[in-house]
Amino acid sequence: MLTTTNNSTSTPRTLTSKQLPKFTPWVVAIGSIIVAIIISFVSFGGFNIPVVAVLAGLINMVAVFALSASYEGRRKATDRVATTIVTSSFVLACVPLISLLWLTVSKGGAAINGDLLSRTMLGMKGVLDQQYVAGEAALAGGFYHAIVGTVLITLAACVISIPIGVLTAIYLVEYAGKNRLGKAITFLVDVMTGIPSIVAGLFAFALFSTIANVIMPEAAGIAKTGFTAAVALSVLMVPIVVRNTEEILRLVPMDLREASYALGVPKWKTIVKIVLPTSVSGILSGITIAIARVIGETAPIMVTAGFAKTLNWNLFSGWMSTLPTYIYDSQLRPVSPGDAALASSERAWAAAFVLVTLVMVLNLLARLIAKVLAPKAGR
Amino acid sequence: MFSYSKGIFVKLKHLAPSAAILAAGALTLSACGGTSATGEEVGEGSNSDLQGTLTGIGASSQKAAMDAWTADFASENSGVTVNYSPDGSGAGREQFLAGNAQFAGSDAHLDDDEVEASKEVCGPEGAFEYPVYISPIAVAFNVEGVDELNLSPSTIAKIFKGEISTWNDEAIKADNPDADLPDTKITAVHRADDSGTTENFTEYLKAAAEKDWDAEVSGDFPKDFGGEAAQGTDGVVQTVSDTDGAIGYADASAVGSLSKAKVKVGEEYVELSPEAASKVVDASEQVEGRGEGDLAFDLARDTTESGAYPIVLVSYHLVCSSYKDQETVDMVKAWEKFVVSEEGQKSAAESAGSAPLSDDLRSQIETVIDSIKVEG
Repeated sequence: MLTTTNNSTSTPRTLTSKQLPKFTPWVVAIGSIIVAIIISFVSFGGFNIPVVAVLAGLINMVAVFALSASYEGRRKATDRVATTIVTSSFVLACVPLISLLWLTVSKGGAAINGDLLSRTMLGMKGVLDQQYVAGEAALAGGFYHAIVGTVLITLAACVISIPIGVLTAIYLVEYAGKNRLGKAITFLVDVMTGIPSIVAGLFAFALFSTIANVIMPEAAGIAKTGFTAAVALSVLMVPIVVRNTEEILRLVPMDLREASYALGVPKWKTIVKIVLPTSVSGILSGITIAIARVIGETAPIMVTAGFAKTLNWNLFSGWMSTLPTYIYDSQLRPVSPGDAALASSERAWAAAFVLVTLVMVLNLLARLIAKVLAPKAGR
Repeated sequence: MFSYSKGIFVKLKHLAPSAAILAAGALTLSACGGTSATGEEVGEGSNSDLQGTLTGIGASSQKAAMDAWTADFASENSGVTVNYSPDGSGAGREQFLAGNAQFAGSDAHLDDDEVEASKEVCGPEGAFEYPVYISPIAVAFNVEGVDELNLSPSTIAKIFKGEISTWNDEAIKADNPDADLPDTKITAVHRADDSGTTENFTEYLKAAAEKDWDAEVSGDFPKDFGGEAAQGTDGVVQTVSDTDGAIGYADASAVGSLSKAKVKVGEEYVELSPEAASKVVDASEQVEGRGEGDLAFDLARDTTESGAYPIVLVSYHLVCSSYKDQETVDMVKAWEKFVVSEEGQKSAAESAGSAPLSDDLRSQIETVIDSIKVEG
């Protein structure tokens, strides 16, 4: 993988005679890790992961260069060092991702069970957690209400933002051309992409508070509903859907549209029957990625839907919990302070595990959709 | 060429069965779900016919107690949902005064401007407020070989100011003539973040040891005083547990197995206990110039009352003196009465480690709650 055979070298003789075997980089890498561990034990008094990682990286780089320079020559050595740097960067980029996944799976996977998935926080109090920590009872509580809230709010956000997003993208690609309105919309979509999520939440909350005050001035606190949260999420979702769909629609070859027009098909029918079916896989996977992006939002949900402890199926009345707000609330403000906060933390990790799984399934689904529905080039 | 239109719909048909299975699965889950935290039906024996939702916003310090109250209240009144958003005391008062919540939780009582503002939302008598949650703050220490420690307010102030740096200092010796104190260095641990615990702790030092504590009362610990900063209550407890010679302040419910210092009040050293903590509220004066239903207290941090523990956090509930309809009035009355009832206070004490209200104060508060009425 790391060995490069460069056939354009001017002297083929050196290529055949002086080349390190293919497995060399791996051997060197393993060797440098071992050396780094030894150094760590000798001079830092124990196994210290960050020290070992940094040392191993440096030793590896120097060793690769020295070995290659002495055997293969300077040019090859430089090339190998470049390869090493690129590979190390890749490994470095994977570290947070893998450690996050590992932590979620090990902590959340250990805590999760069917009860957590099917119970709510109705009737939950600190005493139950203290009993659990003392080993007298099973872990009480759960986040069924948060799963329902996540699904409902995200679905509602999709219902609002997908038609708006896809139609906007169709307008931009098929109708706007280079007119002013098109440019203005593109600019506004760009601005919307950069809106911090809390601002979207505050916007939705302010909007619905105002409406609630006009319609029912005497009722207190009716602006916080699942639907308000859905509106906040759709503010975040629309620009992503527009962007993704626009990219995909632009990929549809102009020939297809022109062929359709040449047969006398009107514009709307060309779009519905030719452009959209051709790009449906891309549009759907773009939408799925947008969903995966907003499903983990915490701040806008806290502002707009509150922290519900009980199951609520009604989007238009009452507070709702979603998995992210549930995790936030459990971890930051445990049901029982002190030693028994551990129980809240366990529930939070289990909820995080479910959330990460949900996002991963959505991303895989996007891949699957793209693959299954992709038009075959049957030339 | 691309094979589109027809092909797409055929493919969608292939996907349909799996989508149907998913949907069916979701429905099954929903059919068996929706149970309570313990899997048992909540509110089976409920004999109240109250129906509706109460919304409260406010102090996060009350969150654990609020969890216990809502849990127990729900088992007696299954028709009422009580929502509480722990956004903070300031946010709670603001939202309450804007009419966005039926009640609020606050670590501080209303100031005079807010009392005026409350008359617009709550009718001519304004808002009612009364303490519902008393939480003692422990001065916890970890010194090898020392299990008991007496501290006077001025010694505590000097320790947290960094003026006393070893455990065998003369000032500490004076408080503990019989103890065998080591010459370990003192590590004073304080909260790194803005917190109500710090505010109440510094308020106590300012009141009880004014000569030694010259900093302003604030939720942020004064940076000039040095010492070790730790994030959150858990952080303080963790740091104190890990460091020999450390001392810190934290909510009593969170200190776990750490030793707690006795604090000098008058001529005696008072051990932290729920009774001692609620006693300080009884010994305090009410804020002057307030209406009948306004039970705001100026906490007597410098009290000399025997057996009172003065380092406490007192959190209030704010309700309106009148609401627009009878249902809300009934719900608020039932809810607030439960919160201050013996049962409610006991539940909070078990779950959140708070100190129950005294009987005198409870009967006072109940009178206030009884006077909540329908507007007009």
